[in-house]
Parts: sequence; C-alpha cells; structure tokens
Amino acid sequence: MLPARITLRTVASLLAISLVAFAVISAMPSDPVAIAIRAWNLPPDGATVAGLRAQWGLDRPFLERYGAWLSRFVRGDWGISFRTGEPVLQEFQQRLPLTLTIALSGLALAPLFAIPLGFFAALHPRGLVDRATRTLAVFVQAVPSIWLGLILLYVLGVQMRWIRPFTRDWTGLVLPIGLIALHSLAVLTRVYRRDLLEIAREPFFRTALAKGLGRGAALWRHGHAHALYAMVSTFRAEASWAVGSTAALEVLFGLPGIGQFLVESIAARDYPVLQAYVMVVALWLLVLNAGVALCLAWLGPRRA
Amino acid sequence: MKRVRVLPALAVLALMLVGAIWQPHDPDAIDLALRFAPPSFGHSLGTDQLGRDVLARLMVGGWRTAVVLGCVAAIGMVGGSVFGIAAAMLGGWRAALILRTAEMFIVVPTLVMALTATALFGLNPVTAGAALGLAGIGPYTLFAHALARRLLGEPFVQAARALGVGGPGLVLRHLVPNMTPVLFAHIGANAGLATTAYAALAFLGLGADPSRPDWGAMLFEYRAFIFDHPLLMVWPGLAIAVVAATLNAAFDAD
Repeated sequence: MLPARITLRTVASLLAISLVAFAVISAMPSDPVAIAIRAWNLPPDGATVAGLRAQWGLDRPFLERYGAWLSRFVRGDWGISFRTGEPVLQEFQQRLPLTLTIALSGLALAPLFAIPLGFFAALHPRGLVDRATRTLAVFVQAVPSIWLGLILLYVLGVQMRWIRPFTRDWTGLVLPIGLIALHSLAVLTRVYRRDLLEIAREPFFRTALAKGLGRGAALWRHGHAHALYAMVSTFRAEASWAVGSTAALEVLFGLPGIGQFLVESIAARDYPVLQAYVMVVALWLLVLNAGVALCLAWLGPRRA
Repeated sequence: MKRVRVLPALAVLALMLVGAIWQPHDPDAIDLALRFAPPSFGHSLGTDQLGRDVLARLMVGGWRTAVVLGCVAAIGMVGGSVFGIAAAMLGGWRAALILRTAEMFIVVPTLVMALTATALFGLNPVTAGAALGLAGIGPYTLFAHALARRLLGEPFVQAARALGVGGPGLVLRHLVPNMTPVLFAHIGANAGLATTAYAALAFLGLGADPSRPDWGAMLFEYRAFIFDHPLLMVWPGLAIAVVAATLNAAFDAD
C-alpha cells in the first residue's frame, strides 16, 4: 500500500516537473533552430529551417510536442547536443557515474560520522565534541564549499605539495567527496544531537534513568530511533544541497561530470542538455526521496 | 540575546549598501602598471591581475549581493504568503493542490532552478535573486500555511469571523500583520544560504560577463592565481563567509 502510493507520487512529480521544465525551455526567447544552424554550420536557408522545424515538431501545438518529446525521452532518445553533436543520452551515460560517485559517497559518509559524533555531543552537552561540532556546523553553513576547496588546494597543493591542483587523479575525487561529506555531517550531527536531547527531557527518559540505566544506554535505547528519524528527514535537504554543490565542485576541480557538462552547455544554450539535466536530477532526488519516505515509514509508522 | 545579534547583521547590510554609492576607486579601472600590487595605503587590499582595485570590486560585489538578498526576501515573502494564506483560507482539495505543488518544487534543488533560470535570462543580481526567490516559494508556502492555519484557530480571529469579517478583510487586517514578523525572521534565516547560493551561481558564471565584480565570479577569476598570488582569492571568500555567518547568527535561535 505505502510503496504503491510512494511510487505513484514519484511518477506524478516527475511528470509535473518535466512538463514545467519543457514549458519554460520552449518559452525561451531564442530559437533552437537558429542556434543549431550556427552550432552545426548548416546553410541558413529556408529549406534547412523548415526541415529542422518539422523534424523537431516545432510547428505543432505545445501539448502534442510535449507528448512527442516524452515518448522519445522514455524510449531513450534524448536528442542531440547542439554543442558536441553527440546524442545527449550517451554524453550523460559517460558523465553520470562520476557525479553520482562524488555526491553519493559524500552523502553516504556523512551519517557514518554524524551518528557517533551527535551521540557524544548529546551525551556531554557543552563538552568537547558538542562544542567542536557546533563550530563545524556554523563554519560549513557560512563558508562556501568552493572557497573551502580553493583553500584546501592552496594548503595541500601549494604549501604542503601533497597533491597537484587541477590534475585528474584520485586527489581530484577525495577533496570534493570530503567537502560534500563535511557539510552534510556537520548539519546531520546537529539534528541528531538536538533530537536526542529533546528525548532526554521527556518523563519516560527520567523513568529509564530511575530504573538504573546509564545516561548513554538510556539515550541509545530510547532516543536513537527518534533522533534517527529526524536525521533521515533532514537528509532530503542535504541531498538536494549536494546536487548543486557537486556541480560547483566539478567546475572547480575540473572533473568531467554532468554538472560541468551542464555549465559548458548552458553558455551555448544547449537546450536538450538542459532539459535532460533537469530530468536526471529530478529523477535522482525523487528516487532518493522515495527511499527516505520508505525509511521513515519503517522507522516510525505512526509519525509518517 | 536575539536583539544583540541583529546589530552585526544590520551593520553588515549597511556596509554592503555603501558599495552602491561609493568606492575608493573605479572598480573597472585597469592599470597595467600596477598589476598584483600588495595591500598599500592607496589600495587597501591590493590590486588584481589587471591592476583593478580589489576593495572597490569587493564593495560593488557587496551591493550586488545585497540586491540579490532583497529580491529573494521580497519574492519569497510575497509568494509564500499569497500561496500559504490561499491554501489556509480555501481548504479542501484546493489547499491540497497548492501544498502538493509546493512540496513537489522542494525536490528540485535551488541551485538547479537558479541555473536554469539564469541560463535562460542571463545572470545579473535581479534575475539571480528572482530565481533563488522563486525556488524558495515552495518551502515558504508550507511555512506560511502552517502559520496561517494556527492563526485562523486563534480566538481573536474566530471573534472577527463571528462579527462578520471575512475574505480579504480578515486576511489583510488579521492574518498578514501577525504573520509578517515570523515569516520575515524565517526568510532572514535563509539569507545566509542565499548569499552562498549566489556566490556559487556567479562562480559557475553561465555566460555572465566575467568582468562583473561578483564575489563568486571573483573567486572564479582569481583561482587561476592560486600559486603566485593566493591573497587575491582570500578576500572574496572572506566577504562571503562573513556575510553568511552574521546573517545566520542574527536569525538563528540555536
């Protein structure tokens, strides 16, 4: 029942987002045919223009065009990039693994550190771990990850000479993953700690202490599920943040992922790529959200 | 406690506004004889690779960031209240439709929405602010809806309703004045986020004129001199971090 409802909602959201993105992109002031003629060096005569317009169905009404685009998209025909002349699907297949590696590794690392750190912060409020994670949270929310990345490049690359900036080797992956993980782990730690402490104020928590449970054991036994629930809800916002930051970090570190591809394509007004990017990101986040919704239902069926 | 922290935020905003009317030098004046000058009396923060005064460029960047923040706050505030109040007043399936739509747009990352919008309309503070503001309407709508629902249950609103006040009168006289401060604080809490988001947008550039002194664009421009003149990339980053940190601190109760 619940999985079916979540699937239905995911598909409906994806359709709605695709319709809006399609509408906005087709309402563009600049003509894709003119861009294509310039990009591919085609003869700018009436026959070429009419041919391209008919081929892309630009002469037909909007909903019909949307339907045609949707059926092509589902079948794997994502159009041809104006800029590279290659099929967009192929370009994305080459670049998506890198982007997913960076974003998902960063996001997956965060809870691994956030749970122990948040637990110790809640165990000793105003203790060392609590103050350190609070400082970290304030820090990552103010300092943009691109600047932090530049500083790290300077310190590790120029001063210490441990890595070679702007080259493509494993260090190019470690820094962006670390930066994504750092932001997420700071935010998730604070959420986990806050909700653990919320439980510590409940009467049943005092009962648990009175029954002889230690503070740590009581927090874990009675607070962990509640705090985990809050942390998983926050995870959605972090995942959405990670998509944008991954794009910026790809550009900073010169990594050929889909974010960098998008930035290069946008300057050339490469609309098929833009549309495909919106769809890929929406699909990725909707699937992640569906996963989070299932997790939440499993963690706390009554609260879902 | 909270009142004290608002002062630094106001001071930072005032400093950003100064950049609109006065800079120590022309921010676009090129002086090739004075490339990469270290900080000195004439150029407090030194000059960049074209001999432009870094402080002057930072100040213009501050003004541009302030414009973005203003647009984000105005659009988020108006859009969020309109949709949130509409959902709370209408109720039923229409409320469900508005809230579902708002939830759906939370899924699309702010930066992707802003990237798309600036790709289409070009990057300048107003379009970027509009895009970031529009991206924020989803969450603000949900927040405003919860707020309006709570107010509608209050005794004074019930009393007004019993006296025959309804529709626009109720909204303008009772809902909006009571919602504005809370909503404003909520949006203020997101101003730090908007600052870093605009920096990321300008860093990515997207067909923007790279000579425009945005903090993010300066980071992009100066990152090439990381080996020989690392101080250049410190200033814009520091400016972003200080503004975001003060704005976050001003509205964050934790």
